[in-house]
Amino acid sequence: MKNILGLFVALLLGVFIILALDTSASFPEFGDIDLTERVSDEYLDGNNIDDVGSANIVTAIVVGYRGFDTLGEVTVLFISALGVALVFGGVPNKQNRLDLKFKPNFMLKTGSKIIFGFILVTSLYIIFHGHLSPGGGFPGGAMIASAILLLYLSDDKFRSNVKGFKLLEGIAGSLFVIIGLLGLVFATYFLQNFLPAGTVGEILSAGIIPIIYVLIGLKVGSEISGIVDNFLTEGESV
Amino acid sequence: MIQYAAIILFVFGIYGLLTNRNIIKMIISLNIMEVGLFIFIISIGFSYDGIAPIITSASGSGLIYVDPLPQALVLTAIVIGVGTTALALAIAKSIHNKYNTFNLDEMEEEL
Amino acid sequence: MSPILLVAVPLLAAFLSILSKKLAPYLLLAVGVFNLVILFFIPLGFEIIGGFNQPLGINLLLDTYSKIALILINVLIIVIAFLNIGKYNKFSSILLLAMGGLNGLVLTNDLFNLFVFLEISGIAAYLITSSNKKPVKTFHYLILGAVGSSLFLFGVVILYSMFGTLNMVDMIQKIQITNNYKELILPFTLMFIGLGVEAKLLPFNSWVKGVLGKSNTLSGPMIGGVYAAAIGFVLGRYINNLFMFEGNLLIVVIALLALGILVGEAMAFSSTKVREILLFSSIAQASIVALLFVNGIVLWAVYYIVAAALSKTVLFLVINKATKEVGSDEISKLKGLFSNNLVVGVAFTLVTLSVMGLPLLVGFVVKLNFLTELAVNNQIWLIILILVASVVEGIYFVRMLVKLWYPEDNVISVKYNLSFKVVFVVIALILLTFGTYTAPLKNYDNTIDTIQEVVDNG
Repeated sequence: MKNILGLFVALLLGVFIILALDTSASFPEFGDIDLTERVSDEYLDGNNIDDVGSANIVTAIVVGYRGFDTLGEVTVLFISALGVALVFGGVPNKQNRLDLKFKPNFMLKTGSKIIFGFILVTSLYIIFHGHLSPGGGFPGGAMIASAILLLYLSDDKFRSNVKGFKLLEGIAGSLFVIIGLLGLVFATYFLQNFLPAGTVGEILSAGIIPIIYVLIGLKVGSEISGIVDNFLTEGESV
Repeated sequence: MIQYAAIILFVFGIYGLLTNRNIIKMIISLNIMEVGLFIFIISIGFSYDGIAPIITSASGSGLIYVDPLPQALVLTAIVIGVGTTALALAIAKSIHNKYNTFNLDEMEEEL
Repeated sequence: MSPILLVAVPLLAAFLSILSKKLAPYLLLAVGVFNLVILFFIPLGFEIIGGFNQPLGINLLLDTYSKIALILINVLIIVIAFLNIGKYNKFSSILLLAMGGLNGLVLTNDLFNLFVFLEISGIAAYLITSSNKKPVKTFHYLILGAVGSSLFLFGVVILYSMFGTLNMVDMIQKIQITNNYKELILPFTLMFIGLGVEAKLLPFNSWVKGVLGKSNTLSGPMIGGVYAAAIGFVLGRYINNLFMFEGNLLIVVIALLALGILVGEAMAFSSTKVREILLFSSIAQASIVALLFVNGIVLWAVYYIVAAALSKTVLFLVINKATKEVGSDEISKLKGLFSNNLVVGVAFTLVTLSVMGLPLLVGFVVKLNFLTELAVNNQIWLIILILVASVVEGIYFVRMLVKLWYPEDNVISVKYNLSFKVVFVVIALILLTFGTYTAPLKNYDNTIDTIQEVVDNG
């Protein structure tokens, strides 16, 4: 009975959404959008690109035009990392790591440490080139965390320095807000670019955008690593 | 229409949430729903002749780009989804520690 | 001074607070006081972020409407944090984030930015309810909240693909040019459901009973008082400016809200637990607030939200404290609670009478005025509905008060700290003062929400 009711509600919602979108004249057909009617047209305007200085327009939007959203987004990740630690209760004990079902051998441990280095370097590359190529702080940070996860899975004695991660995420987050506040001091508005935009396409361009993206990368990396650590260690539960 | 596929994925997620009583399956349903939403968001920015919105040395005027704003929005939405999922999994683990089951029907305390 | 500080400073403090756990509760109080002080130096108007004009960038709007909301939110968070100092220190960072998130929620003038703040304050709320130590209930709340905000985002994205903007003022202008209401039913319904989950509207409020029915001195007033008020303000702004409910959709919305009032009051009437009475009455109140906004009664809906938030904070604090010491929130177990606590009893009674809407208290003034405006709008059925609801409310509240005053054989003793008593008395006095001296309330009118004005003037 419950399944049928669920199916009915879900079907009703789906049919409602599809019919409403299908009959709407304002809703554009797939692939048939008119950018000039949208605010995005301004983002792609040549003068605006030179003003912001980021070759990757998506990065220009994420960190530049809608940087306040990104501050909120980083905060969401921060609060859920905080929440995971809170739900698992207090400071995790160093002895309580979850055991692996197998005994990792020497090759696995050493091999994964070598790969760890490569992943870390690649992720740093992605973070530093966020304003030039696809990528940036969020994917790069997630890659750092995946490297840490690799070490956790390949070595049953491994514990990362959780305190260090906490320090890093606290400082990186604070610096993000402080850079925003500096915009209020040196320029007029919060998160305003107060550094020269430079030439589009160079590594040192786009003012505060790469700086903020590096901070985001560090923060995301340390937060997700902290979450990984919390899941793989048994704390006292709430 | 590819957008309708995304909406169907979204509706699948809702159906899973309405009918499942297993906490882990509910979290998976939530993620299926969110993925459907993300694909829908990306799809509204697509344009058939458009290229990726990245300026290269070959870029001149007169090029058509896809809408960059939905891509920026979906980046934010994905990260928020990750945060919610992590928290939900943590709560699921603490429920499992307390009741020793993931099934809502098998929990002794009244819900 | 810029309104951005109201959001940025709590977030900065939250990032710093994890470095020193001991200082976090004091940091929270300091930031709260800082916010309240600068609030009086910030000029009203728009504030753009990042130096990009609207609709390119995000902007914030501080007007009288959001100023009232901000004062209420920050004062209540300070009070609740102060009363819980030493007990829930682990939650200080989360309260800081909740403060930043709720301030942003009220201030922002951007649809997608609202979604982000909805998520920040939502996740903070899930964590605050985890202090109830009922993980299944928290999980239920999380799932519903996540679905609600996804639906909200869905609506926002559909609006973006139709009108190509995310800025609220810009969006309203473009909608007015097109003026095709039928196309907007889908996005508005999705967004209304999304906000309705958090705003406790029927039928999306099944989380409320599990969360508030087991609340403590932190989660009760936070979720039942502060969050209810903040979401009420946001919902009001959206109903008032963006959502267009016309024709059949209007009838459905009004019927759902009316049903919400009836179900809330009926459930409260049949409940024997004090916390459940309070939470069901807040469900009814949330529906009344939405109903007033749908009818265009802004000012008195705002005062209703403020009065409800203040009263619910006191009621939940009194009852949750007593429940913690007695171990049960059945009315029969709490008989004679006030016979040893005269001050608390008098304050509690005054607050309850204000919620019921008895003369000399704010609740009466607010109810009288919005009923008058409803009468001007010719909404006779709604007036009858609200009057019936008030009578039911009166019956169960008086029944509860009588039992709480008269002791049985076994006398229960609950000790309230001086700080608790001071807060209760001050809030009761505020309700009494503005109930008798109503002139300052009438300084404003329905134009405290200035978005419409901005839209018209371009």
